[in-house]
Amino acid sequence: MNYSDLSSRLLHLGERLAKHAGKIDGETLGRSARMLTAQLNAFEEDLESYLASRKSGEFLLETLLRSPAAKRHLTVDMLKHGLREVVGKRLKSDDLPAAKREFIELIHEFGKQNKAAEFLQEAFADAFHVESGGKDKLHLQREFISLGQLADEEFAQEIGKRTFGELRRVASVNGIRFTDKTTKQRLTALIRRYAQRAAFNIAAARVPSHIER
Amino acid sequence: MSSKVLAFINFKGGVGKTATVVNIGATLAKLHEKKVLIVDLDPQSNSSVWLMRPDRWREHVAKGRRSTFQIFDDALHGKPRFNFEEALVQGVVTWTGFTDLPRLHLLPASVELLRIEDRIHELRAPAIYQILDTAVGPHFKEYDYVLLDCPPNLYATTKAAIFSADSCVVPYVPDYLSLSGFQVLAEQIAEMREKFAPYLPGRRKPNIAAVIVSHYRLAGNVFRLAVNELELSISQLQETGLLTNQAVLLQPYIRHCVRVAESTSEHLPVILYAPGSIGAQDYCDLTQRFIDLFEGKK
Repeated sequence: MNYSDLSSRLLHLGERLAKHAGKIDGETLGRSARMLTAQLNAFEEDLESYLASRKSGEFLLETLLRSPAAKRHLTVDMLKHGLREVVGKRLKSDDLPAAKREFIELIHEFGKQNKAAEFLQEAFADAFHVESGGKDKLHLQREFISLGQLADEEFAQEIGKRTFGELRRVASVNGIRFTDKTTKQRLTALIRRYAQRAAFNIAAARVPSHIER
Repeated sequence: MSSKVLAFINFKGGVGKTATVVNIGATLAKLHEKKVLIVDLDPQSNSSVWLMRPDRWREHVAKGRRSTFQIFDDALHGKPRFNFEEALVQGVVTWTGFTDLPRLHLLPASVELLRIEDRIHELRAPAIYQILDTAVGPHFKEYDYVLLDCPPNLYATTKAAIFSADSCVVPYVPDYLSLSGFQVLAEQIAEMREKFAPYLPGRRKPNIAAVIVSHYRLAGNVFRLAVNELELSISQLQETGLLTNQAVLLQPYIRHCVRVAESTSEHLPVILYAPGSIGAQDYCDLTQRFIDLFEGKK
């Protein structure tokens, strides 16, 4: 059921009740009506509170604070920064659950829920770090493919021209995992193997020319 | 409202098309308050039964009437019986029995769509491509995002989706099987772009705007190397003009997460079912990058 269905049902019930109100009596129906009234009171209260929290931005703020993004990115420093920026106050708490509570209370006190939600959306967006691979990534990827296309002797010659540091950079950018203990010889073998594979795979996956246009 | 109409395509199956559509759609609606329409065009109806309980879905799409099947059936019979408002499902039903995500709307699919591909060629191009755009295109402007969940093929239904779309998004699993399909896909879309151009005056011609990696695992070298090969392939396709320079590989890569698989049985997007899971967190970050890309924020 959705809320629209519920509203139709309540409207229909209201119309029926209004039509027969003057004729209704009896203890059974009276008891049932009393229970319904109590439920309606609770529902009306919840609905009003929800609508008010939507309007003020509190609902979105709480949704954001409970969101998966908050679980990954929310820190005490972020809340401190947010509070300073949104209401110009200092956050005293140093552990996250307490800081969250204090943040909500102060934001609520100043009525700045919309601003706080906006701040959190931007802060979460900035918190995710996109791995760029550095400025020379494209160059090192092209170099990797070129190395994969070389015959054994040419490959050995090309590798000989590079320092260990340069080889580590080529490997790292191209997804080869190694440790501080990996030797130059081992790293060269890894680069050889995966560069050949990449060159072969990219070439082999190229669109066959016989595909009808 | 300036809507972004995006076709999620890949003719390889099991690459996470539906998971991406459902979870990005839900995150856009829940955390960014965007109005989102998901159009299920796959006869397997996976995004429909992910977001609807099976009994409710069966009842809703009985005989295909209130489903995307009717759009194509109307085109074949020349009778407009499809009613957008009647077919539309608003929000998802949670354990309370009431709906959540009121900004997330769905046009469900039905298995009858299977019959369409056999008969659609009774129509001629460009009528085939224009079916979806003509029938539901005018409603797209009511939404911030329209996500078209395509079947794993490049037949008529998918072509109609690509015709309607501003851009294509390619969900991708990092392995060689996907890599080999990706290059063919890029060429096929480039070909469609040329074919559709005369019928899309003043509109953006469809191209691949983003590639999204799913089922990623951090263990070992395997996936890092496969993603590197994908990046190499993208830059090569950009050099040859099959991909535009705007095409990007979006981060983060969506890691394999049991809770995402489990959320299908609960008929809820993962951000509602398991908001603390890595799957929900990855989709949140990915959705932010998605907004940055399509709303030009960064």
